[in-house]
Amino acid sequence: MSRNAFLRRLLGSIFAVFICSALFGLAQAKTIESVSILMAAPFADATQDLVQQFNNEHHGEIKLNVIRGPLETEAMSDLAISSLLLGKAPFDALLMDVTWLPKYAAAGWMEPLENYFQQGDVESLAKGAREGNSYNGHLYRWPLTSDMGLLYYRTDLMDQPPETPEELVLVSQSLQQNQKVNWGYVWQGRQYEGLSCVYLEMIDGFGGDWLETRSNQIGLNSTPGIEAAAWLQALIDQGVSPKAVTNYAEPEALQSFKVGDAAFMRNWPYAWAELQKKDSAVKGNVGITTMVAKPGHSTATLGSWGLTVLRGSSHIDASIEAIRFLTSDSAQKQLFQKYGYTPTKRSVIEDPELLEEFPILSEFGKALEVVKPRPQTPLYAQVSDVLQRQLSSILTGEKTAQIGMDVAASNTDQILISAGDRQ
Amino acid sequence: MIALLLVPALLLLVIVFVGPLFRYAWLSFHADSVITGLIAVPNGGANWLRLVQDQRYWQDLFQTLRFAGVSVGLELVLALLIALLLDQRWRGRDVVRTLALIPWALPTTVMALGWRWIFNTPYGPIDHLTKSIGIGSLNILGDPNLTWMATVWADVWKTTPFAALILLAGLQTIPGDLYEAVRLEGGNAMICLQRITLPLLRPYILLALLFRLAQAFGVFDLIQVLTGGGPASSTESIALYAYWNALRFLDFGYSATIIMASFILISFICVLAWIALQFIIPTHSKSQGVVEP
Repeated sequence: MSRNAFLRRLLGSIFAVFICSALFGLAQAKTIESVSILMAAPFADATQDLVQQFNNEHHGEIKLNVIRGPLETEAMSDLAISSLLLGKAPFDALLMDVTWLPKYAAAGWMEPLENYFQQGDVESLAKGAREGNSYNGHLYRWPLTSDMGLLYYRTDLMDQPPETPEELVLVSQSLQQNQKVNWGYVWQGRQYEGLSCVYLEMIDGFGGDWLETRSNQIGLNSTPGIEAAAWLQALIDQGVSPKAVTNYAEPEALQSFKVGDAAFMRNWPYAWAELQKKDSAVKGNVGITTMVAKPGHSTATLGSWGLTVLRGSSHIDASIEAIRFLTSDSAQKQLFQKYGYTPTKRSVIEDPELLEEFPILSEFGKALEVVKPRPQTPLYAQVSDVLQRQLSSILTGEKTAQIGMDVAASNTDQILISAGDRQ
Repeated sequence: MIALLLVPALLLLVIVFVGPLFRYAWLSFHADSVITGLIAVPNGGANWLRLVQDQRYWQDLFQTLRFAGVSVGLELVLALLIALLLDQRWRGRDVVRTLALIPWALPTTVMALGWRWIFNTPYGPIDHLTKSIGIGSLNILGDPNLTWMATVWADVWKTTPFAALILLAGLQTIPGDLYEAVRLEGGNAMICLQRITLPLLRPYILLALLFRLAQAFGVFDLIQVLTGGGPASSTESIALYAYWNALRFLDFGYSATIIMASFILISFICVLAWIALQFIIPTHSKSQGVVEP
């Protein structure tokens, strides 16, 4: 056999194998439904094991693939929106923050889920986890993990945490006078979304309401609205909070509390696991409670993540199957045990075994009872932005609470008017 | 034939530059937001009217111009000094030339995060420094009057090497015998700088100025990471505002209007800067007569 003929045959057989395997692959691809979900990096990492389990259980039927997005919420939002704007999304489902939902619903990007999740499913959720999943009567999102604002305090410095804003200031001042801590209370005062979350807890805590979206009632320049802003500003003036709090986001507040510089901190549940690490100076001396407020008004800002199916997906049923798996009792248990993600289901939050292993879970459960979502309107980003601007001006002493909140209220009004939501 | 070779470059320019520009111009006369269901509806000049009345836009414009003017001015002066130094012969010069480029080579987000911790109160080194020399805690990133200076400083630190690189390249094109001629005529170093270096360097200064001005006017990443536009919106730039409108508020019509207005403005400023430079530094042809009488 000449060399050429041999080469030709070799090439021919390689080609034949190639064609066969391609055809085989094509046939397989038709029977296996592939579902892709975009998640922020921490969630993508945390759900790796679960995705593996799911794919083992559904071998040959569904192939679940999690796309690892960026780390930060804002960057995630940018990525998701840029992909959705291009028309047909390159993924079937998305893990979304609670504040995105009305905007996405108005843009028509999501598939309504009420035909897939029944009343019984909804009732299996904790009270707080039922909030923020629907818009205009449609269910769009199924919660993966709860998230809410919490007040962290030092158990080595006090027996009982304060309950009212006045108590918090008094306790802080006496601890500072006795030089137990440099600062009383650290929180998120930077001009960004976290500041809106801090403020929501205070305005509700003083008995007010930021924005009632059904009647478009704006409460920013009502008495509680101004009291809340003035109270936050006074924390800085009185030295209870450091001046630098006007540039604090979660990491800065956590840093200050973690090294033992502060008696109180406002933060989300993730901080609990951070404070239990070896490098934490306050390990074992941290307690959690709900935010200080006038009696009966304690509020926790809702900040949960949930899964939503995107309109135009050709794998809706398979996506629902994956979402059910990722939010099942055992999945929630795993996510809490390993990564500290707060469960959304009542049965998991009240699980006796889990409570024995992690007594702190009961505090998370209590905070979940008093959660409140931020105003549910497609214009939320604008509404929150004008509030952040004015709050930042108040906190840095550029404006008084009265003037700042008057401006915030009239700006909010203008946004609603220009959208035709209000005459 | 040669014109034909330009086609790929022209095509690229049209696709990535001219096309979007026309699209923005068109979009700026339409309402296209979450309220209209992301469908572009013509709304006459409503966006432009809103822009004119938008106090926030004018505040951001002022802040952007202040940022661009101060930082580019500082950068050019520092870059000239650095370039002059790096143009001289001395031991270790090559190592320093390479090291000087490091700030520019770092990704902006990384260096902005670094500065955020350096300026951090009370854990950053700057805070320790001001406290130890008796000024006390300045709270740089939390004070609306100081924060913009921190953004300028971070920008100067990062992009001075870039301007220095351009100027250094320019310095190396100046023939050494011109300086010799001045020395022979009894001129000192100052005369060399005024009559030879600056006039001959002018095209390079102009290049660095235009590059930097356009970049500084569109500053986004540095401010987004360092301050997020705060506190009290004292560092918000035009680009940040346009970005917020597009990707956060989903108001593409108004975002396009902001971008178009900025485009017109920056073109205008670049022309102005070019004209101003003609007056500040005398042209070579004029000075030549003095050097070689």
